[in-house]
Amino acid sequence: MARLRRHASRIDLLQGTLDLLILQTLQWGPQHGYGISQAIRLHSSEVLQVDTGSLYPAMHRLERQGLIRAEWKMSENNQRVRVYQLTAAGRKQLAAARSRWTQLSEAIAGVLNRTGESEA
Amino acid sequence: MKLPLWRRRQDEELEEELAGHLQMAIADRIARGESPDEAARAARLEFGNVGIVKEATRETWGWIGLEQLAQDVRYAWRTLRRTPGFTIVAVITLALGIGANTAMFSVINAVLLRPLPFPSPAALVAVSSTDLRPGPARSISMSLSWPDFFDFRNKSHTFEHLSGYRDSSFTLVTTTGSVHVVGAVVTSEIFSTLGTPPAIGRGFRPEDERAGSDVAVIGDALWRSQFAAAPDIAGRTITLDSRPYTIVGVMPPAFQFPIKFPAAQIWITLAVDARVENPGDTPITEQRGAHFLKAIGRLRPNATAESAQADLDVVQAALAREFPVDNAQRGVRVTPQLDALVGDARGSLLVLLAAVGCVLLIACVNLANLLLARGAGRGAEIAMRKALGASARRIVRQLLTESLVLAAIGTACGLAIAYGSIAALVRWSPVDVRGLDQVALDATVLGFTAAIAIVSALAFGLAPALRAVRADAAPGAQTSARATAGRAERRLRGLLVVAETAIGVVLLVGAGLLLRSFDRLVRTPAGFDPDHVVTATFLLPETRYSYPRKVAFYDALLADLRALPGVEAAAATVPLPLSGTNYTISFEQEGGSGGANRESADFALISPGFLRAMHIPLVRGRDVTPADDDAAPRVVVVNEAFARVYFPGVDPIGKRLKLGISTTEAETPWREIVGVAGDVRSRSFRDPVRPAYFVPYAQGLISPLRVVVRARNTAGIGEEIRKLVAGRDREVAVYDVKTMDQFLATSVASPRFQAVLLALFAIVGLMLTAVGLYGVLAYGVAQRTREFGIRLALGAHPGDVRRLVMRGGIALVAAGLAAGIVAAGFATELLAGTLYGVSRLDPATFAGVAAILLAVAALASYLPARRATRVDPITALRCE
Repeated sequence: MARLRRHASRIDLLQGTLDLLILQTLQWGPQHGYGISQAIRLHSSEVLQVDTGSLYPAMHRLERQGLIRAEWKMSENNQRVRVYQLTAAGRKQLAAARSRWTQLSEAIAGVLNRTGESEA
Repeated sequence: MKLPLWRRRQDEELEEELAGHLQMAIADRIARGESPDEAARAARLEFGNVGIVKEATRETWGWIGLEQLAQDVRYAWRTLRRTPGFTIVAVITLALGIGANTAMFSVINAVLLRPLPFPSPAALVAVSSTDLRPGPARSISMSLSWPDFFDFRNKSHTFEHLSGYRDSSFTLVTTTGSVHVVGAVVTSEIFSTLGTPPAIGRGFRPEDERAGSDVAVIGDALWRSQFAAAPDIAGRTITLDSRPYTIVGVMPPAFQFPIKFPAAQIWITLAVDARVENPGDTPITEQRGAHFLKAIGRLRPNATAESAQADLDVVQAALAREFPVDNAQRGVRVTPQLDALVGDARGSLLVLLAAVGCVLLIACVNLANLLLARGAGRGAEIAMRKALGASARRIVRQLLTESLVLAAIGTACGLAIAYGSIAALVRWSPVDVRGLDQVALDATVLGFTAAIAIVSALAFGLAPALRAVRADAAPGAQTSARATAGRAERRLRGLLVVAETAIGVVLLVGAGLLLRSFDRLVRTPAGFDPDHVVTATFLLPETRYSYPRKVAFYDALLADLRALPGVEAAAATVPLPLSGTNYTISFEQEGGSGGANRESADFALISPGFLRAMHIPLVRGRDVTPADDDAAPRVVVVNEAFARVYFPGVDPIGKRLKLGISTTEAETPWREIVGVAGDVRSRSFRDPVRPAYFVPYAQGLISPLRVVVRARNTAGIGEEIRKLVAGRDREVAVYDVKTMDQFLATSVASPRFQAVLLALFAIVGLMLTAVGLYGVLAYGVAQRTREFGIRLALGAHPGDVRRLVMRGGIALVAAGLAAGIVAAGFATELLAGTLYGVSRLDPATFAGVAAILLAVAALASYLPARRATRVDPITALRCE
């Protein structure tokens, strides 16, 4: 039952938005891959379900680009986990991506609202 | 496929990371109350296919650094394989350019760059004497005398060690007979100067320099060949020139001094020069006028060649005051030892390096041209890649990778060419240049090759790559863009042809001048007839041959030789003209001012019949005869140059001279001039004939003589000489049997080598230029197919079209020719010192080069021009 509902409400992420979500999640502190996927799901009220097949390539790419940094740490239950955190370049990139996103969503919202008015 | 280590670790870490993710998901589910089985199943389902996740993640790693480069290289390789014609032309062009440069540089490396094979070689300097009188001789390094050398050694302050030495050779008696061994007479500190102690035994001590101390150090090769590498060699006695010597040491295998070919294998001290044969004689070590030494010094750590020069200048000035007769006109010169050894070779090698550099430049210009044409054909591909999101940087990088791949293949082929040509280069090159026997493709050479390969790839690849991305990719603008871009590009490619033509002209002019100069050189009359002449030499041991016995030995041997069937004449002399050995001895004219104004002239000992045997004309007076023996009045024959310089307008016959060298200083006799002989090129064809005099060997002073035999058939003569000499004395070994022609060939080996190589480079350059011109014109014709079609359709005569194309080609070449002639006017300055008998602005050479170039240009443009006339108007109009 639960699975079905999640599938129905799933939204395909726009190209590039996953990067933004990862960076934003890491803004709150270092986190491992599982933690990031859980955080995105929780904060989007379970609307955004990140596919591991997209998450890991995205994180490794961000790491190559020097926007995030990874290191091996021990978790609370003594498991070796790879923990990611933002770099200075990542912080800058996040700020830029956020402002672009805000502009875009405001623009889209503006267009949508106008259409709604004329229809009314 | 086996992954590199770093990659395998990265893989394992990714596996661990993903497994951790799954475990945490399961743990969370269990914490939420699911059963372990159910939790595991659900988590796995949610996670998806682990293999696919891993693969997708790995792909993000691939797009970096080495892997991206590998991908570019693979792509470049595929692209090049699709156009084999272009690739083969490009690779051959590069292989020629890079191969020639690598071969030439390997020679430069061995001769000019590789340090001398001694510890701290930079501290080694050569000390020589100079002639201070005005004239061309000022720049020549001259020999020192023992007394002058002793003063330099004792009174200088800038040398750690200073050693004198002279080349020598010995007859070594062995169990099987006598062998001739090359060696040197040295001062005691020679091995300390060179920083190389003997491998076995000891070197020389100061007391070994005294007369009567007969000790020798031998070389590793001799130790192995003649003494079976006996470890107890030190202390053994050997017989050198019939005199017992005690071996005190053996040098290590790599030791070579003096650096020349063949290598010295026996070193003895100047004790041999301090000896006197007859009581009352003055030993050579005390004759200040006997100049035949070289000197090598090791500078103190704080000294330089300049400070040593200043140091010795002071000593020399004192010598000039104290011994004005021998030293008033002399200076001293200190040069780094490497420079002294390399000598004239430096200039000609650098000229050749510049020439191969030009060949490579032409090759690069050609390739740039080919790539530009290719780039125009690839416009669609580039536009597509741009549209698909490739950045300009990415495309430039891809195109440059292609150039680098081309350069790499070309370099591999070039190395094969270099490897093959080095052997030929060494065999053809003059033997007397140091290091030539050690030319090899070592790390330095390979580094140089890699550097020029990369530089060339950038040189020929960068401009076409930048051009390719700058071209407008908008599909709508294509037709008009092609017209304008085509024109701009044609101009650029035309400019490249002009440039390579100009470089080719410089090469051709240089080669032409050297060839003409060489032709003049070998046409210069030697002053004697070298055909059908065989020469050989041998040492008569001083211990058993007093001066009269030596003369008797030569007299009898020459009589035997003259009696052989087919022998026209037999004689003896030293030094032989063009043999590379020269003696210069000062003299005094009777009634002259004497003293400080003593002149010096070339000197030779001759036997009766020498002038006739060599076909040297006797101009006045008489030749030396058998009657001119030790008991007869002293006589001398001079050459025409001597008569001209010292007796202008006066008959020299009957005038008297006194030579500046003697066995006893006290009784130096006056010699009467009895004859004047024709001028002979005795040093080289280049050097002008210098005043010279000839003294009958029966009244002479120096040995060994060289036997000269003129015979109708020279084939067995060397063997006959050997037999006759051995028949008279089994301990005497005949060596250095050579025809006079061989001496002549050796004396012109350097200019021939340089001329032939430069001609070869010029031909390669010319061929590449022709290919470049052909490429540009052929491409131009292909681009203008439509225009030619219209012209022909409108009634243009095929001849008109042909003229149009050819005129374009010739115009490019004419522009290049003009630029090249101006450049050659400056560049030939480099050759000014090398040329002989031809001006560096020789009009005939320049005109000849222009004619050759225009002919080649006409040929290279004719083929595309003919194609232009064959354009079918209908096809041409359809082609858009």
